[in-house]
Amino acid sequence: MSGAQSANRPGVMLALRFALRELRGGVKGFYVFIACIALGVAAIAGVASVSRALTEGIAGEGRTILGGDISFSVVHRELQPDERAFLDAEGAVSSIATMRAMARAPETDDQALVEVKAIDDAYPLFGTLELTSGGDVHALTQANGAGFGAVVDEALLVRLNLEIGDTIDIGRITLTVRDTIANEADKLAGGVDFGPRLMVSLDALRASGLLQPGSLVRWHYRLKLNRANEAAGAEATDMVSDARLEDVIAQARDKFPSAGWRIRSRANAAPGLQRSIRRFTQFLTLVGLTALVVGGVGVANAVRAFLDTKRPVIATFKCLGAPGSFVFIVYLAQITMLAGAGILIGLVLGAILPFAAGIALEQVLPVQVINGIYPAELGLGLVYGLMTALAFALWPLGRAHDVPPSALFRDQPGESSRLPRKRYIAATAATVVALAILAVALAYDRYIALIYVGASSAAFVLLVLVGRGIMAVARKIPHVHATEWRLAIANIHRPGALTPSVVLSLGLGLTLLVALTLIDGNLRQQLGTTVAQKAPSFFFVDIQNAEKPAFDTLLAREAPKAVRQGAPMLRGRLVKLNGVSTEDIEAPASAAWVLRGDRGITYADAVPENSRLVDGAWWGTDYTGEPLVSFEAELAGELGLAIGDTVTVNVLGREITARIANTRTVEWESLAINFVMVFSPNTFAGAPHSHLATVTWEEPVTTEREIDLLKAVTAAFPTVTGVRVKDAIDQVNALVEQLAWAIRAASAITLISSIMVLAGALAAGHKSRIHDAIILKTLGATRARLIAAYAIEYAALGLVTALFGVIAGSIAAWFVVARLMDATFTIQPAAAVAAAIIALVLSVTLGLIGTWRVLGEKPATVLRNL
Amino acid sequence: MDQTTPHRDPNNAVRLRDVHLSLGTGAARVHILKGVDLDVTEGSSLGIVGPSGSGKSTLLMVMAGLERSDAGEVGVAGQELTTLNEDALARFRGRHVGIVFQSFHLIPNMTALENVAVPLELTGDRDAFAKARAELEAVGLGERLSHYPAQMSGGEQQRVAIARALVPSPTILIADEPTGNLDEKTGRQIVDLMFKAQETRGMTLVLVTHDRSLADRCQRTIRMRSGVIDTSPLEAAPRSQAAAADA
Repeated sequence: MSGAQSANRPGVMLALRFALRELRGGVKGFYVFIACIALGVAAIAGVASVSRALTEGIAGEGRTILGGDISFSVVHRELQPDERAFLDAEGAVSSIATMRAMARAPETDDQALVEVKAIDDAYPLFGTLELTSGGDVHALTQANGAGFGAVVDEALLVRLNLEIGDTIDIGRITLTVRDTIANEADKLAGGVDFGPRLMVSLDALRASGLLQPGSLVRWHYRLKLNRANEAAGAEATDMVSDARLEDVIAQARDKFPSAGWRIRSRANAAPGLQRSIRRFTQFLTLVGLTALVVGGVGVANAVRAFLDTKRPVIATFKCLGAPGSFVFIVYLAQITMLAGAGILIGLVLGAILPFAAGIALEQVLPVQVINGIYPAELGLGLVYGLMTALAFALWPLGRAHDVPPSALFRDQPGESSRLPRKRYIAATAATVVALAILAVALAYDRYIALIYVGASSAAFVLLVLVGRGIMAVARKIPHVHATEWRLAIANIHRPGALTPSVVLSLGLGLTLLVALTLIDGNLRQQLGTTVAQKAPSFFFVDIQNAEKPAFDTLLAREAPKAVRQGAPMLRGRLVKLNGVSTEDIEAPASAAWVLRGDRGITYADAVPENSRLVDGAWWGTDYTGEPLVSFEAELAGELGLAIGDTVTVNVLGREITARIANTRTVEWESLAINFVMVFSPNTFAGAPHSHLATVTWEEPVTTEREIDLLKAVTAAFPTVTGVRVKDAIDQVNALVEQLAWAIRAASAITLISSIMVLAGALAAGHKSRIHDAIILKTLGATRARLIAAYAIEYAALGLVTALFGVIAGSIAAWFVVARLMDATFTIQPAAAVAAAIIALVLSVTLGLIGTWRVLGEKPATVLRNL
Repeated sequence: MDQTTPHRDPNNAVRLRDVHLSLGTGAARVHILKGVDLDVTEGSSLGIVGPSGSGKSTLLMVMAGLERSDAGEVGVAGQELTTLNEDALARFRGRHVGIVFQSFHLIPNMTALENVAVPLELTGDRDAFAKARAELEAVGLGERLSHYPAQMSGGEQQRVAIARALVPSPTILIADEPTGNLDEKTGRQIVDLMFKAQETRGMTLVLVTHDRSLADRCQRTIRMRSGVIDTSPLEAAPRSQAAAADA
């Protein structure tokens, strides 16, 4: 009997059939629902697809970006003959040198910091260097009767007010500018540029006098591997196998363990850029997720409103013999189908985004963004969209299970506030947890993602509590005589009030907006004022030992009132910590940069300025024992280094091991001469090196004064490079500005989502609002009074929500700025005021839009149709 | 059998014993049914009358398993309903109880045919649509199968509702003010349909009405007053109406 009964139980297929019949009513009431899901999914799927398109583009063009199958780079020195011979045996080699230098326009005496790139005849091994007039770079940079030529970025011509055919001075030579660069394919591998490119031949660089012992020049040897023992017909392309690539790298490491070269392969051509893309993708994904979560509030509102209208149908189903679980499945299927529509729209938009980004980034990136459809990334958007929809819909859907069939006869008070059954609460919790796990598991930086998930969950719960708190307070407000206020207060706390949904939808969007605005504002303030005020005006690099006394004399004469500091400077790489290769060390993200690439290192007799000894003792003035080093305290801690441990650096192809004698703190934000490692002077005795100097005016000086000093220095010391800190900060600011636009666009998506949810929530309450308004008008309330009452209600909700948004957003921004970025955080009142205005304008405007129209109508007309 | 002990009583389609029911919570709680005892013989018709708020609709809901009594025994079609859980009650209704509402309560997004087929579909009946079509033809709506409720008149909608109530061949047909939203002529047609079905199919009919002439067409009439069955004699309906009902 029981078997027969269970066989008679309505199944999932029947539920789907019923769901489809129910959907014949159309999607009215679900526009906000669908739009919210679509927007969030589009953001997540789009960002992920663009990121994939970029990283694939970079990976696919790895050889072009790197300029070879493998690149070996060293600082200060060229390769030794045996090292070079090894490379020559493996394939074609192109050597180039890069360094910073001053370019001077002889006619005007103007000067600019340039990124010099000196190329050999083999350059480029892969890809092409495109010049604006289509000429050949080697022909144009060769020496002729007028001397060497150069090709430059257009920006340099603008900066120095030059034209093609004009001359510029570099070091001790004069160059003729013969063309501008249209596309430099291997530029991405270089990292951040502080000035425009100036490309010359290696001969020109050697002739310029810029190559001095200890000059900050980086030599890159790009290798196009020959096939060696590989079968020529193994592949149709000229691409050698990864195995051969790995083999050559392994051999290089094995044969020249102390070469100190940085080796990069085509598979990892621009690691810094790829890291940045991944980090930025994570940020935008989290913002997209916020948009989805905000949209989730809209989902919950829409589902609740929908099920309210369906109560008679649900009760009828139950009267006709449908169990609660069947009813749940019928409506779950409908919500899933509607979410599917939103997801589909979102995926289409997300799929289009890489194509749009490809066009937008065409000018910025020298490589082709791989335009395509990325199923895995779109799948990610689908999963996020579906899980968010379920997380917010399961709870109200669970309540549908228990709609009593007697609802057809009477409403039962308190039923709508009843909790759904445990299974639905558990399913909601499981979906929320799964969503959080997914967000954290897929993140580039899980720590940040975890904080984000925690913070947004806290904000969500707090906003629910704030909503309830407002209602509780409104309920307790003593009787007010003014009718408008009484109406407004009653509207805030009555059953079914808009308060919770308005506070939640507006609050989440505002919190994110305030947080992002404050982070952005603080970073700008940091760069624009704090750093600029404390930082030196100039850094001078590549001051030769022999030039040092004359240089100091000149500075003393030209900038007598400025603070002048100097330090010897070499570039070296940390290769071992306590004898363990740094390549085998898993350092925390905050300290990994120390082990990556070259570091500036110095030596000193005494504790440098801006530093304070934390532990251990400084070496004596005439110390001659084993090499000692002072390590920055916080980084030492993160790398697990203690006093007595050893570090090995590779400088000029020599490995030098020193023992940590002490640790010290460094004021990094001063932007003064700061080094992670300061060695005892005997460590580098006899090693060729240059000096670094800074000039800091304590009183603000004019730009002209700064430029005059720079002119005086470069006129007397043409091979010394002067970096004006304000220019560098401008460069960074420009970069921050570009990123800020992307961040603003992303937060705009969240705000749009917020507005849609808010508008949806207000529209849902609109019907009962009209009903109230008409009844009140019938009883003698004037339009002005009603509008005042509604405006007070919406304004009160907007203000309280803004207050929460400012507080929560400020805490989030403080955490990011002060804790994650270790910078100083200041509250910016403008952001708070802006948030309050936005909240007020949105809540009052959206709230009154619908009510306004109906207030103009005659009560009788509306009463007949109510 | 639906998680309960059978309560067979071959003569009674409905057997209520000391049924109590209160609704609402706290200060708003109202004691509506105050110890109702009632037997309805199988195949008979019962009219329930009484003033608004007397508890007649609530009594109907208890019989239909739409409302749970707080105390007492509720036996319907040989099944004790107080021991069934919500889902078992739903299935019980699907098989044994047909309900006709004053406001029809058709599902707006389903056609007439689909509306009538729903109870059979829920029990997994493979011939659901064929039976639904036959039932609609029986109530004179063979031409309106694919119409939606909004495209039909009130009388047509109520006929669809009756077809839907009858299609699973329930043991008991329950109607709550079935003519309340209809004009007099249409109302009479609807009532005729119900009584005809009760007679030809031998099912039990229980209806709640304010209309004494309609109540008088039933074989037995009871009056509810303040939550109990009023046992004082009923006033006779105007002669002409009673005669029409007998005809």
